[in-house]
Amino acid sequence: MGKGRYLLKRLIYIVFVFFIISILMFWIYKSMPGDPVDIMLGSSKTTMKPDAYQALYEKTKASLGLDQPLPIQYFAWMGNMLTGHFGYSTQYKQEVINVIGAPMFNTVLLNLLTMVVVFVISIPLGIATAVRKNGAFDKSVQVLTIVGYSIPTFIIALLSIFLLAVKFPIFPISGVRSAGSTATGLAAVGDMLWHMALPVLVMSVSGIGGITRYVRAAMIDVLRMDYIKTARAKGLREKTVIYIHAFRNALIPVVTVTTWWVVGLFGGSIVIESVFLWPGLGKMLIDGLLQRDFAVVLTMQMFYVVLSLAGNVIMDVAYTMVDPRVRLDG
Amino acid sequence: MKKTRLMSLLLAGVMAVSMAACGGQAPVTNNGDSSAAGSSSAAGTESTRPTEPQGQLVIGSTTQMGNDFYDPSFSNNAVNYKTYDLIHGYGTVVSDIDGNYVYDPTVVASHTETENEDGTKTYTVTINDGLVWSDGTPITAKDYVFQLLLESSPEMNGVDGYPSQSGYSLVGYQEFFNGETEYFAGVHLVDEMTYSVTVRAEELPYHYDITYASAMPRPMHVIAPDCDVEDTAEGATITGEFTTDLLLKTINDPTSGYRYNPTVTCGPYLFESFDVASAQCTLVVNPNYAGDYRGVKPVIEKLIIKMVRTDTMINELKSGSVDLLFQCSGADTINGGLDLVDQGLAQDNTFFRNGYGKVQFDCSQFPTDSANVRKAIAYCLDRNEFARQYSGGYAAVVHSYYGLAQWEYQESKDWIDQNLETYEKNLDEAKALLEADGWTLNADGTEYSGTGLRYKEVDGELKPLVIEWANTDGNPVSDLLATMLPEAMTEIGMQLNATTMDFPTLQAAITHTGDKTYNMYNLAVGFALASSPWYYYSTDPVWMQGGYNSNWIADEELEAVAEALKPIPFDDKETWLTAWQNFIAVWNDKMPDIPLYSDEYYDFFSNKLHGWYSTSVWEWSRAVLDAWVDA
Repeated sequence: MGKGRYLLKRLIYIVFVFFIISILMFWIYKSMPGDPVDIMLGSSKTTMKPDAYQALYEKTKASLGLDQPLPIQYFAWMGNMLTGHFGYSTQYKQEVINVIGAPMFNTVLLNLLTMVVVFVISIPLGIATAVRKNGAFDKSVQVLTIVGYSIPTFIIALLSIFLLAVKFPIFPISGVRSAGSTATGLAAVGDMLWHMALPVLVMSVSGIGGITRYVRAAMIDVLRMDYIKTARAKGLREKTVIYIHAFRNALIPVVTVTTWWVVGLFGGSIVIESVFLWPGLGKMLIDGLLQRDFAVVLTMQMFYVVLSLAGNVIMDVAYTMVDPRVRLDG
Repeated sequence: MKKTRLMSLLLAGVMAVSMAACGGQAPVTNNGDSSAAGSSSAAGTESTRPTEPQGQLVIGSTTQMGNDFYDPSFSNNAVNYKTYDLIHGYGTVVSDIDGNYVYDPTVVASHTETENEDGTKTYTVTINDGLVWSDGTPITAKDYVFQLLLESSPEMNGVDGYPSQSGYSLVGYQEFFNGETEYFAGVHLVDEMTYSVTVRAEELPYHYDITYASAMPRPMHVIAPDCDVEDTAEGATITGEFTTDLLLKTINDPTSGYRYNPTVTCGPYLFESFDVASAQCTLVVNPNYAGDYRGVKPVIEKLIIKMVRTDTMINELKSGSVDLLFQCSGADTINGGLDLVDQGLAQDNTFFRNGYGKVQFDCSQFPTDSANVRKAIAYCLDRNEFARQYSGGYAAVVHSYYGLAQWEYQESKDWIDQNLETYEKNLDEAKALLEADGWTLNADGTEYSGTGLRYKEVDGELKPLVIEWANTDGNPVSDLLATMLPEAMTEIGMQLNATTMDFPTLQAAITHTGDKTYNMYNLAVGFALASSPWYYYSTDPVWMQGGYNSNWIADEELEAVAEALKPIPFDDKETWLTAWQNFIAVWNDKMPDIPLYSDEYYDFFSNKLHGWYSTSVWEWSRAVLDAWVDA
């Protein structure tokens, strides 16, 4: 089976799964107790006479299409989604497209920087520990990485705030930028990076711990292979053996992890966003759920579904790029 | 003052029922003066108030701001709500520093009230000359009439479902709102500086009727630039191309709309920017502002409102990243703040919350439809100990439907001590109440043995004394109640079944729209300046289904004493106080809720801030006008 045919098959699969999941999601969220219209109108209920409120309630419900049977609501929602209209947020009283941009930017920025930090540190570290397997350096790193990904993120976050923002006030405690800052250009970027330092540090700790161990394990497996011995026997430089012959072949498991990191760029962390007051998609999703803001929640969920499904395909394609032995077939 | 008139009526007086989870009780406080419902300032203020605006104040809020600056009908986010006060001004009726409604003399040159033969009442208000918008355009009566028309119109209702209720209580509102006529009969533009409103007869008498005269200006030249307001015999009307499409552009455009970017306003502060990425709002002083009702103009040049976390906000104050934390509660935060004060690193201001945490009963459900059962539960709880544990000593206990910041409470402290039942923990009293209510049987129908669950025969059927309690997750009040209540309830022969859920599910249960209805919830109540209990204890099912009478209590005695308050003239304080005391005494006997605790709030602020005084009825958005900061 050729690559094109394989991709077509996967695409059909993605579309099928997308619709199945969309029906399930829609049904689950609509089954949740709580009235989104009531929540949307909020204090109007006790600031309007009951008859006026009831009239407003009915009108709002109709304008949101919530007075229709569920199947009709589903088709209306899906039709709008597929044409780029993600619905009306009952929480923000705005179109979803207008409210989702800023938190998405915040989340992607934070995750991207974290990913860069994690991979820049953990890949060389994983290789170095694999090469020095069972040495003092390797054992020290093993202990630290276990500690790194074992401690809950919120504890690392609170510790880092206490140490680096309160005890030794090097970084700000929270926020995206300094209050009242009028900085522009590089100064504004610098201010934002300064505020990102702690959340990135905290998110990187567990990431570095996990990926270092992942790379180390993959490298150790590869370094045992006969072709590595052959390369060394041929008199190749150790760096060439490690980085060209070994690492290339250790990349497959790393590609898996990297793909999910890339997909995860859009996934917000409710813990990090709450502790560091970094308004992102994690908090938006939780708030949306608590406020029964189904337009926001469903938009985000379906976005993640598409990302996950696409991530699988991207991963498969990436495998073929790093290892020519891998064939895409049914 | 808010523009909404309907709100002013009804609701203005209404109390904002905030359903959060809470709990609390006893008159215990770490503050030396436990009776102080006002405030006290710690730091010395040797600094002199500057004559010109200077400096900036960073205000920390535990609520994230939203990008919405029109009014609470679009967003009732607590911080946004205060920002409206700062941006929009010149309401004709405002609340003063003691929480009383007054005509604002800075705005109102004169006013008259006329009682008409048909039972309606007309308020005629003349605006002072010389008031201007931030762009220099003069403010006239047209801007006030425009607000009344705009915010009662079907066109505005088309903007994201805006309620359009401002003129609800006025003659001709329904016809105007329904689009049956272009003229609002109850609103008139008398002359360039005078408008009048006529209130429907059925909305009178009303204790807070002064709020009917309330209006605030909206910049017609910004919101409807090619339109005009004209007066006719049939009422005032907006002429020109006044359409929903126009408002969707001028108000609702995500970048330039007045709702998101109010460039022309008349409050003490002007909207400068809202950083969506950091949810941070910046306001700058309005050089054209004529002053509040006392003529006070702000002298802090810039206000920045940013979000803080409860558990790190004291550190933020210490580090200087915020200058003011308002209405702090909870022992950890308060003790942390007081440590800073002791070290000379900050100042404080304290006052009692105008509301309380409570156990709320559903009085339509068996067995909490019985006052005896409700009171028996109250006797099972040591409220003083509860408040102490919950608040760390920074709370007081109330015994009926009142807030510690209300002037009625201030006037009635001794009376309350002498006349209200305090429901000290007393299991014998609780058992006696249950016996009197008929809970005298075992499961097999024999006489109650003294242990185990009590039963009562109802319509030939034995029913157990089981209380279904709905609460929310991660709520310290729920946790404390779950610790303190069940054992005592078991001892008196009662069973408490707790169910934990999220807030929307809880709300659905309270409003009887969920799958199941419960007997009790733990929530909170806050009293608005115009507290209107006649709505909250009405036996009319409309007010129950409408969310006002959330206790679903149909008690004619309670309704009667609440209803007696409504027609008392606003100036007749003596009659009102007597009726109010009568009401809270009956309430105290009916116990639709168990009041748990009323927090002692603290403002903590940096030493650069001076002249700070705020209370529950004079909140930070008002207090900031009197305060100043070092340059």
